[in-house]
Order: sequence, then structure tokens, then C-alpha cells
Amino acid sequence: MSAGREAETAAFAELERLRTAIEELDRRLVELIAERVRLAREVGVAKRAGGRPTLDPSREAAVVRRAGALAREAGLAEEDVRDIFWHLIGLSRRAQAQGARDERDA
Amino acid sequence: MIIVTRPGVTDAELDRIREHVEGLGLRTHLSRGERRTIIGCIGDESLLEEAALRILPGVEQVLPVLKPYKLASREFSAGPTVIRVGDGAGTRVGARELAVVAGPCSVENREMLRETARAVQAAGAGMLRGGAFKPRTSPYVFQGLKEEGLRLLREVRAETGLPTVSEVMDPRHVDLVAEHVDVLQVGARNMQNFTLLSELGRVQRPVLLKRGLSATIKELLMAAEYIMSQGNRDVILCERGIRTYETATRNTLDVAAIPVLKAETHLPVLVDPSHAGGRADLVAPLAFAAVAAGADGLIVEVHPCPEQALSDGDQSLTPAAFAELMRRLRPFAEAAGRTMAEVAALAGVAA
Repeated sequence: MSAGREAETAAFAELERLRTAIEELDRRLVELIAERVRLAREVGVAKRAGGRPTLDPSREAAVVRRAGALAREAGLAEEDVRDIFWHLIGLSRRAQAQGARDERDA
Repeated sequence: MIIVTRPGVTDAELDRIREHVEGLGLRTHLSRGERRTIIGCIGDESLLEEAALRILPGVEQVLPVLKPYKLASREFSAGPTVIRVGDGAGTRVGARELAVVAGPCSVENREMLRETARAVQAAGAGMLRGGAFKPRTSPYVFQGLKEEGLRLLREVRAETGLPTVSEVMDPRHVDLVAEHVDVLQVGARNMQNFTLLSELGRVQRPVLLKRGLSATIKELLMAAEYIMSQGNRDVILCERGIRTYETATRNTLDVAAIPVLKAETHLPVLVDPSHAGGRADLVAPLAFAAVAAGADGLIVEVHPCPEQALSDGDQSLTPAAFAELMRRLRPFAEAAGRTMAEVAALAGVAA
């Protein structure tokens, strides 16, 4: 096997290893998102039990502010991370709204 | 509402201002300029109290945006938007250097696309256009090669390095076209297809938005706002002539729209002199006028044999005529404070 071919094989193996690691990370990310949604649903239950409104924009803004600051510290594109968190908040909002409907219909 | 921050504003101050606005249920958009940073507020502005915003640390000025378009408006950005096109080095639209897109109206076959791409690149074009999905006035004429055309564009991009521009007509095709080309074009007939615009707002590719045949400048900017409001901020506007009572030309190029758009929006503005006039002999004078009026670039139809073109042959330039246009365009570009890509001496011109 030529040296060039050997280097190519090694690079390919490294690429495979990295891809496997990313797949594993993605799996954990999805689990974490699911966990976040579960917690948000419980927050919704607690809010309703305490007679507080489900929608809390100032709380959401604080969550996004914190995520943006963490992204900055980590050297990530802050605006993109903020966008991701607005999406996560959207998921949580829907989960809470669904929870409220389920309670009502029960 | 726009919040202009004072020079030297800190990240923590920006965070606090944004949290205040977002806590009221609005969204913010940050634009960092060389000297000033601007926070645009999007949502129900009646909830915002100017007095409360003014006293936040870091705030210098609070300005209402009276225009119906926000993200597209000049005030919302600290400077003109420069859009990167293509992977790697790619090219830029909205920078000092004129952006020139050239190529056939529709992709007909591999050889003609390859030949045209090489010729326009040699003449100094920075991007290749080519229609795969064609919106034709008649359902009985050539409708484009569709997916096959996209694959050919991708092949030729790999060969030449030219980023590609192609039209998408159907919201269902957005992902497909985005996979194959660098810039997604919205044709004049689809400028107010809001389903398509919303779909384009979700992709990570620049959009070339052509002005509708009877659309006002305000309507064009509102269409851009549709795309931008969904998250895609990379919108390139294109003036391509509007319908008037004049029949000597296919459309009437609205030259005044160029400086008006440049004043109203931070988005780059291209001009399509081919569709505007509908005749090959009008392409050069309209191109000169467009650049003189401040356009950021041109999109020109070029076909190796215009008389045999399957669509829009009347308005297509031959590669030689395009090279000549590019040569004669240079003094107009310089007079307008623009530069043009350096071209290898007499490339593409038979010695």
C-alpha cells in the first residue's frame, strides 16, 4: 500500500469516528430536548395550580438572554444560539398549551 | 421601533435592553455596525414605552419605524447588507465590486451550459444563471429540464467554481433547488406568492427576489419582508422592468426604482436588463443606466446561439456581445464608484 493510500485510509477512519461521535451527541441532544419539554409541561401544571398565567414573556426573555451570554462565552454565534432557544421555547409553550387542554378535557 | 445604542455599548447592556424588549413579547434583531449597534424591535410596538427604553443603560436614541417593512428597511441595519454567495471563496453581492450574473434563460443541455459558463466567466461574470423550472406564459411551450437542469448546474459549478442562480416556482421544490444551487430566484410572477416566500424564509440560501410586473416598490419590499420575517435575511432585490402602456419594449425598466430602493433598504439591488427591454440591442444601454443609477449588479441572459434558444432568444446576448458589454461597462462602474472583477487579458476573445 502506498503512503498516499495509507493516509487516505487513516483520514477516512477519522471521518467515520467523528461522524459516529456526532451521531451520539445528536441522540443526547434530542433526549435533552425531550427532557426540557417534559419539565416545561410540569412547570405548566405548577403554574395552573398556583393560578398563574401559562405565558410568561419576561421569563422567556431571561432564558434567551442567559443562553446568548453563555454562547458568547463559549465562542459560539450568539444570534444563532438565541434563535435555537426561541425554537426550544416554542416547543415548551406548545407542550404547556397542550397540557392545559388535556387537563380541561379530562 | 429601533433602538440606537451609544458607541462602546457593552454586551451586558445590549443583553439587558433586549431582555426588556423581549420580555414584553417582542423579538429583537441586532445589527452591529462599525460605530453603532442597532436593535430592531419586531412585534406589537404599542407595548413598548419609549420613556422606559430611553433610560436603559447604553441606549442613545429610540426611533419609531413608520414604514410597513421593518427588517428590510434601511433604519434597521447599521449599514448596507453584503451577501455572501456560494461555498468557500464564493462571491459577494452588495459589495463595492459589481456582482454580475450571466447565463442562459433556461438550461437546455450540458454542452450549451458548459460553453456559456466558460464564456461568461472569461468575460468577468461572477455567477451563473440558468432556469430549470420555467414559468412560461403558455403551457404548450418548453417548461424546462427541471431536476435534470439542476444537476447540470451543479456539475458546471463544480467545473468552473461559479456559484449558481436558479428559479424556484413551487414551495414543494424549495429544498430540492436549495440542495443544488447557491441562490434561489423568485420570478416576477411569483413575487407575491406568500406560501413560496415563507418557505424560502426557512432555508439557508440567499434569495434573489424579482419585482413583479405590476408591483410597486413598497410591495417588493413587503415581499422581501415576508422572507426575512421567517429568518432568512439574505435577500437580493431585482428590478426587471414593469408593465406600462409602452409596447416598443417588452417592459419598462424603472431606473428610478434603483436609487429609491437604495434609500429605502439595506438590501442589495440587481437589475435585469434582458427582461426589462426584451431585446438584445437594449441590454447594453439599460445595463449602463442601471449601473450609473447605483445598482449593485446585473443579471444578464447569454446564450451561445440565441436564435436557437428554447426560450427568450430575442433578448439573449451572444457570448461575444456579453464580453463586449462587460468591457464597455467598466467606465460606468468606475464613474459610479464601483469596481469590476479583473478579467484575464482578452480571455474568451479569439485572437
